[in-house]
Amino acid sequence: MKAHIEIIDNRTGSPVAAELFDEVTVEHFIETQQEWRPIVLKAARQLAKLGSRELIPQHLHWDWTAKAPELSVLANTFCGIRCEKKLQGLMKVQTVGEFCRCRLPEQEGRALVYVDYVEVAPWNLKALALGLGEKPRFNAVGSRLIEAAVRKSIEEECKGRIGLHSLPITEQFYRKVCRMTPVGRDSAKQNLLWLEFTPDQAESFLTGEGL
Amino acid sequence: MSPEKRTMTLNLTDQEMRVLEDLCARKDVSKTALLRQALRLYQMVDTRLGRGEKLFFEDEEKKKAELMVV
Repeated sequence: MKAHIEIIDNRTGSPVAAELFDEVTVEHFIETQQEWRPIVLKAARQLAKLGSRELIPQHLHWDWTAKAPELSVLANTFCGIRCEKKLQGLMKVQTVGEFCRCRLPEQEGRALVYVDYVEVAPWNLKALALGLGEKPRFNAVGSRLIEAAVRKSIEEECKGRIGLHSLPITEQFYRKVCRMTPVGRDSAKQNLLWLEFTPDQAESFLTGEGL
Repeated sequence: MSPEKRTMTLNLTDQEMRVLEDLCARKDVSKTALLRQALRLYQMVDTRLGRGEKLFFEDEEKKKAELMVV
């Protein structure tokens, strides 16, 4: 699958064309290690020097190449966004597994698509760009990936129901921007906040086009 | 865009069909979606067992029971 989408170029404030794709390969994982990780670490060091430790992302140790064996597992779907010949974001979702059950009382036990990992290129993250003394390059990359997860949920007949564990630094994004429902802390997953979309919320998110 | 799909006929006993319909109702998905999920789950479990991992169920008292998969 390849789809034309739009993200926001923060230099102009205008939408620019980007490509959403699900034919993710190990080459994309290597690209994150080569292109993203050095910038994440550099920005994290700068933030530490500035005394802004609370802005250092909790995902700075992520290594997508370790997920290469998961590419051939049917339960997993990987999606990426490319713009200006660079990978701008990457996501892994699961359609079956231990977290693919709804927890919200109104839809408890129903099937959902679990968003396992979402990462946006470091030059698009406000906190990291701050550490580098720059403005974020593109906006709406995370929203477009969540939109792709909702569309995957619809394709899988889960009616837009998705669920995820949020890192502390992204909780506000899922609550305020995506308007997902926070269900509670999960002691089985580092006490991270579990959030869900109902079908109605998912539809509102899609029609509101995220950002 | 969804990938191209192929059609197959599946023969089930009455009991198997009842279980399938009950699961579809509880999960709020169609029979096709549920059986696709079952295939994915089976492949995931088989892959991990093939790597030498083990599959356990744990009860409320934290007692573990290993699930044997053929």
